[in-house]
Amino acid sequence: MSEVNRKWHSGMATSEDWWAVWLGLILFAAGLTSILGVDMVGWMAKPKTWIDPGWKHWIKASGHAYKGMHPLASFAMTYAVFTALTCLGAYSMKLNVKKFFMGWTIIFLTTWGCWVIGHEGHFKALKTSQTLNNPELYGDDVYCTTKVHKCTKEINKALKELGVDAKKGELPDAATASKAVDMAKHAKRLSWGLQLGGGFSFILALTVGLIIGNFTKGFAAFLKEAAKPEWYIKTAIVYLGIKIGLMSMKAAGFVFELAIAGMCATIVAYLLFWPITYWMGRKFFNLPRAASAVLSSGISICGVSAAIATAGAIRAKAVLPVMVSMLIVVFAMFELIILPGLYVAIAPDQPIVNGAAMGMTVKTDGADAAAGAILDELQRAYGARKGIYWEEGSILASAIMTKIWIDMFIGVWAFVLAIIWVYHVERKPGQSKVPVSEIWHRFPKFVVGYFFCWFVYLAIAVFIPEWIKVAKGGAHIVQGPMRKMMFMLTFVSIGVITDFSKLKGMGKLTLLYAIALFGVVAPIAYIVAWIFHHGMMPPIVTP
Amino acid sequence: MKADIETVLIDDGVIWIASNDDLTAKGATLNELDDDLRRVLLESGRYKAGSSVTVFMGYDYSVIPTWIRQYAYHYFNRLVTIDL
Repeated sequence: MSEVNRKWHSGMATSEDWWAVWLGLILFAAGLTSILGVDMVGWMAKPKTWIDPGWKHWIKASGHAYKGMHPLASFAMTYAVFTALTCLGAYSMKLNVKKFFMGWTIIFLTTWGCWVIGHEGHFKALKTSQTLNNPELYGDDVYCTTKVHKCTKEINKALKELGVDAKKGELPDAATASKAVDMAKHAKRLSWGLQLGGGFSFILALTVGLIIGNFTKGFAAFLKEAAKPEWYIKTAIVYLGIKIGLMSMKAAGFVFELAIAGMCATIVAYLLFWPITYWMGRKFFNLPRAASAVLSSGISICGVSAAIATAGAIRAKAVLPVMVSMLIVVFAMFELIILPGLYVAIAPDQPIVNGAAMGMTVKTDGADAAAGAILDELQRAYGARKGIYWEEGSILASAIMTKIWIDMFIGVWAFVLAIIWVYHVERKPGQSKVPVSEIWHRFPKFVVGYFFCWFVYLAIAVFIPEWIKVAKGGAHIVQGPMRKMMFMLTFVSIGVITDFSKLKGMGKLTLLYAIALFGVVAPIAYIVAWIFHHGMMPPIVTP
Repeated sequence: MKADIETVLIDDGVIWIASNDDLTAKGATLNELDDDLRRVLLESGRYKAGSSVTVFMGYDYSVIPTWIRQYAYHYFNRLVTIDL
């Protein structure tokens, strides 16, 4: 059966892009019922930072209404709800539902395995601020099994009960400090700790995915039906819209500035990356016009979707973008592995510049969001070591913001290219027309869900501020553990579908891609990100 | 966007093929495809020489490998005016 996008609503029930919106909005709506005093999302399981093994140490239900729920019941409920929703999506998208179900179950269990292991205290836990500031009093071995600012609060509260008011600058003696640490529920003494934050879970999930994708290819092929990083990440980005909405409530200036700076940076980047890469392809690599245009869009704009859009716009046969797409997917993995650590090593005090540069450099939404999430964790771990506690997700938001602008402009860019190609490069004017509907067909639909969630929470803050507190109840679960789980699923899936051996036999294209990416796109993206974002800092979480 | 004829467009890596229940046209390039379509329309006897026919060609996305669809769900559509 043919699949032609003829009407404005074509693909609404059958494309991953739209299903990211549906999956996002269904749980967004469920979260919003907290306004009515109903907790429809509190069953969602979330991993705990643990030292001792055991279900009750590993997992708990997210909502207060589900506090007594057994961790296994919470986990089973999470599996059941997400399996039902994704299988419904798979059925609508005409995937092989049986294969999808089996693949999904394995990917889901792998994801949770990595997530729980990644929360082991020696890998994840960060040191308390008291340990960082006064190791001689508290000891150098006090770590937090919750957020650092909460742990700091617990120790300060314990100190107050012992007669020392730390908020007034009073310092305890070593014995009192030690007692306060013992009294704080989430402060633990560990013999060693890597302080990797949540980033360790991401890296572990990616590593496991890559091992499956490259060393057990038969198994990877079996999982492929359910390994859909773009679907999972686009759903996560819809949930991120809620996060941005919540951030707008308390840091409206930061969010607005981020959005405007992201848009300006994106436009400048478009105007630089594309022509330079196209010129390099034509001049130094003697690529045909079509191949150079498709590759330029893939490298400089937004990976596979840009390559497909450009190839369609210039009426290239489908084999060309398919080949370029294989290159993009593999290179995105290099970017995802290399860039977060590199940016933190080079400019650790510029978290927002790093995030924005990431959004412009890393191709494919999945790899960018994944790289942004690792960057967010590494930057916050770096900040925490210096006693600065940046808002979780704000650095990731900067990486996503630039990418979303890039995604939205793809349709317009492809439309302009199509006009140039049809009327000036290949055809006689007047015979063939480029339908304006092409812009809509290429518009990333998940962005609709992202902005919808953002604006609903913004509207609550502006027009019904008395609802903010109750609205946050459900929102925190959807944009917290649910979003993070979709990220984790993305990490495993992106590893499963990345097969490095596909680079074989693509010599000239691979060389051009590598030179353009690391020699042109990455440095220019960083300069542009710095011009538009320097001086911007994530909101601070105060203990 | 109203067209006189609606067709589904695919390519097999070498040639473009536009077809519907009544007609099939082929060409190595889109120009050749349009020329072949002109010939097919004239031979069908349904359109008079000298008239103009608007043809919508919607690319059949099922031609694109499944793994790519999660990144993009549209290739391109064409609206061509064929002078017979």
